[in-house]
Amino acid sequence: MKEYRYRVRHLTTYQYGGRIDICHSIAHLSPREDDRQNVLSHRVDVTPTPFFRVDRQDYWHNGTLYFEIQGSHDRLEVLSTLTVEKQVGDPVLPLSEEAWDDKKQKLRPGDHDEAGVYFANFLLPTRTCPFVDGIDEFLKPSLSPGKDSMTLVSELMTRVYEEFAYVPGATDTTTPLVELMKLKKGVCQDFAHVMIAALRRVGIPARYVSGYLETLPPPGQEKLQGADATHAWIEAYSRKTGWLAFDPTNNRIPSHQHIKIAHGRDYFDVQPLKGLFVGSGGQVLTVEVDVERF
Amino acid sequence: MCAAPIGTLQDQQQLMESLGYTPLEGRRDESVTADGSIASEWQPLFESVGRHGSGVLMDWRNVATRISRERGLAYRPASLEESDSAEGWTLDPIPWLYSPKNWEPLEDGISQRTRLYEMILRDAYGEQRMLREKLIPAEILLGHPGFIRPLHDLTPGESVVGLGISAFDVARDASGQPFIVNDRFDHPFGLGLALENRTVVNKVLPRLFRRCGVRRVGQFFTDWFSYLSRRAQSGGDNPLVVIVDSSEEDEDSEISFLANYCGILRVHPADLTVRKGRVWIKALSRLIPVDVIWKTMPGGEIDSLERDVRGRPGVAGLFEVMRIGGVTLASHPGSEVLQSPGFYPFLPKLCRELLGEELKIPPVASWWCGSPTALSHVLANLPSMVIKSVGAHSEFSTLYGRRLSAEQLEDLKATILANPSGYIGQEEIQISTIPTSRGESLVPRGAVLRMFSYFDSDHGPSVMPGGLGRVSTADGVVVSTREEGDSKDVWICSSETPEPFSIATVVDTSLPAAPYIVPSRTGENLYWTGRYAERAQFVAKFASRIIDGRTRGFSHDEAFEQQHEDLLMRALYDVFEFTPKAAQGDPLGDLLHDPLCTVGIPYNLQRFHHAAQVTRESWSPASIMAIETCYESWGKMTKGSESHFEFGAELDGLQLNLSAFLGLNLDSMTRDEGWALLDIGRRIERGTLISGLLSFLLKSGAEGDMSSLLNESILYILDSVRTYQRRFHKTPNTPMTMLLLLGEPDYPRSLHHLLDRLLDIGSKLPNASQQEHPLEFLKPMSARLESFVGPFIAEVEAGLFKQEEVQQLLTELNDTLIELSDYLTVTYFNHAKSR
Repeated sequence: MKEYRYRVRHLTTYQYGGRIDICHSIAHLSPREDDRQNVLSHRVDVTPTPFFRVDRQDYWHNGTLYFEIQGSHDRLEVLSTLTVEKQVGDPVLPLSEEAWDDKKQKLRPGDHDEAGVYFANFLLPTRTCPFVDGIDEFLKPSLSPGKDSMTLVSELMTRVYEEFAYVPGATDTTTPLVELMKLKKGVCQDFAHVMIAALRRVGIPARYVSGYLETLPPPGQEKLQGADATHAWIEAYSRKTGWLAFDPTNNRIPSHQHIKIAHGRDYFDVQPLKGLFVGSGGQVLTVEVDVERF
Repeated sequence: MCAAPIGTLQDQQQLMESLGYTPLEGRRDESVTADGSIASEWQPLFESVGRHGSGVLMDWRNVATRISRERGLAYRPASLEESDSAEGWTLDPIPWLYSPKNWEPLEDGISQRTRLYEMILRDAYGEQRMLREKLIPAEILLGHPGFIRPLHDLTPGESVVGLGISAFDVARDASGQPFIVNDRFDHPFGLGLALENRTVVNKVLPRLFRRCGVRRVGQFFTDWFSYLSRRAQSGGDNPLVVIVDSSEEDEDSEISFLANYCGILRVHPADLTVRKGRVWIKALSRLIPVDVIWKTMPGGEIDSLERDVRGRPGVAGLFEVMRIGGVTLASHPGSEVLQSPGFYPFLPKLCRELLGEELKIPPVASWWCGSPTALSHVLANLPSMVIKSVGAHSEFSTLYGRRLSAEQLEDLKATILANPSGYIGQEEIQISTIPTSRGESLVPRGAVLRMFSYFDSDHGPSVMPGGLGRVSTADGVVVSTREEGDSKDVWICSSETPEPFSIATVVDTSLPAAPYIVPSRTGENLYWTGRYAERAQFVAKFASRIIDGRTRGFSHDEAFEQQHEDLLMRALYDVFEFTPKAAQGDPLGDLLHDPLCTVGIPYNLQRFHHAAQVTRESWSPASIMAIETCYESWGKMTKGSESHFEFGAELDGLQLNLSAFLGLNLDSMTRDEGWALLDIGRRIERGTLISGLLSFLLKSGAEGDMSSLLNESILYILDSVRTYQRRFHKTPNTPMTMLLLLGEPDYPRSLHHLLDRLLDIGSKLPNASQQEHPLEFLKPMSARLESFVGPFIAEVEAGLFKQEEVQQLLTELNDTLIELSDYLTVTYFNHAKSR
């Protein structure tokens, strides 16, 4: 078991085309605690200063920040800074020791995980991850009878990695899954959604995870500021293993370099920052993330 | 107080026979008892129809239609659950009669059901015992789009309201056993319609109503309102309660009737804003805190920040305000999940576990296809089953096995097998029939009763003594809000003296008066209602004048007349700074028919109608009639016609109705901020039109006969021919026209008078913080005009006319009015948009 400490700085900036007079926002920016991750510190600074803010937990027990900004402004900055400690061994794939197609072993919607959350949440289709034809086609080659369910998850991760091209800008958060299955390209959110829809289709509980990924500069080069990014991956469940993380964007079992923020059914449950503002003009969004070890 | 029975069984059967009323073979009819006599509560009705002869049925229907129209109740159900028929759900004035004996078990059963669903709701957003103890399959609750996860910490109980007004559709089968066929929570449809029906039927059949001792519904609303007020966590003894509804702005919805009846201000989500843990109405120039919201829109959409559907208007941050107790919302915005038919198969068990009671009114026998044994039962009996989705009812239309072909049944089977846990099968019941009027006869029609109730957390459930009856138009058994049919008033007959509350009176003093608040959006639309009413009238006058020229002529030769018409068209374009399309076709045709021509009648009437619809609650029934009549004539105009000449009379009618609308409002509206904005809108519009037209007159360069005719036309368009003649006894000429329409202080159509009036009305407008009051804005112009007019009159009378000075003054006036309009927009309307 090794220990790693990370400091993350995540700055989101909205530059508006016109003056904004009021804005209501919800942020999912607090890191989750679990047996692989201790949170040492976390704070969110908002500029201009909100005149009303509330910290609470959402349905999934993710830390949630609500804030209102009143008063004319043309720029909004949300800076989240956190330090975490990760304790992880080498990533190896544990098996569930259950075949994916063993009807008797299947987890039912009315069963729940160790935290008491019912699997109905993670087994039923959502608007973003519906059951569409493309998903069945995608699943088909991997569905050999008797395969260990976690082996299946891992295989599907690899297939998403191999069959989908990482192309920023090819999709946005509103691109429907059915479209994605034809395009075969996208970014980390999209790959997570494809996997989630596929796993739920075969009855494996799956959830969406948002977080950060540490990237290392090529040997001999210095790391660039703001070069890291927000990231998304998934977790799948079996009785034996509990929730296990898989990163289809990098074809990797997440280890210390993945810093988890929140989980939910899909992206829309855990959007890092969503806001509604009243005013005119467009907006330019920039996101800078720095993940550094200390 | 029911009338004495009508003679013998034989007499009764004869009466039914004479009216041609025959119950359907093998079906139960509510008005006929087992031995073939007329059920006692129905006897007064049959007796009454019998006495008048069945021709009276047609009369009653006509009277009902007329009353609906007069009271502005022209309800169009198209807004409801996607019915695209505008004709459906018309009112059949024949009421649905209930004896106390038949009613009490229903009241009792609905009362229990309200308690049961309140407990289910509390559990769903609370400890979820239903899931822990596996009382229902988890997917029924967690898979329904109406289960709103952000509300997990808003458990109904102490500070959060649970079931607000809810609806239950009750039907009886052949044995007389009542069943619930649908439950509607969150924002059920039909309450306003039920009230409308009561209002109308009470007027059509006042004596029958008294004879039957019909229970009144007013107390139900009084109690509901007092419950809402009691649940307010802010606002002290006099909390502000509003209805929030997101219907399309020009939709004619039952909600406006409900709001008016209950004396509650109706607002659109866009009228509300969240700040500092409170919800506020964006009123003219200020914010007013709201304490209680009665919502008649989907709870899942009402907080635009925390919902996952996009697009429709909502109030960002509303749930957050609920969390900190800053506002009370009814119903609980997560209650839509309860209407999943997925609960039905498990309801008897839920009732035993959550209430410790047996269910009094069972649901129709139902099977959840997620269970293998239930699935095989449903599939084996598919042709006699009703299949419903356990998800949102908007996503899958209920299917009746009986109505499907063999092929369709196979498709349905495949659909169910692909996702068994998504469906339930229900036994189809043969619903009982009631007498319904069809032309001049009474016929039996399948009927479903929609009952209404809410859960008062202090006093328990409250059930409305009445409801909305719905009958199928054809002899089918299916009754759904998605299908056509008639609606009925429901009379609970009683032997006691009815309660003193009466909806028959126009003003129900037991309910509060609507608070005096003009939301900014309403204010803006009132302002534009005024402007477009004036503008439409102005354009219509132009068209009339041109048609007059073409039909009667003005005693000049053809070339001259044509020149004059061209001049008039130029005047119109000039006033609106409009550039016509390259010459093609007849410009008069564009004015009359082209809905895209911004200086035409159809365009401006449509804008007028839209603004007037948005502000519907502000108008008296007579004004609404005038608005609708204007709009109907617009419909005719856009249809187009070969000849323009026949429009002469239409145009007169249109102007009459617009004048009636404006006049009625002068008479019937209270002189508040809203009225002030309407009137200011009219006057600003008129002022810009007059100054624009007079400017054109000056720069037209018309001379001699043409000048006289143009002056006359302008006087005609500004409705001032008579006054001019009385005042000057002269052929119209420019200086005199100016004298009348610019300088005359006592003539209501002069710019001078108009400015004085604007100053006067402006004082009704509230002071906007940090802004100059509009009065201040107008004063310099008023002073300028004042000092101009004296010398001007003297000069004109002395035969001197300084054209440049007049032109200059008109331009300044026009600019001032335009600036005033912009200023009002910024001060009173835009302030709200940016909040």
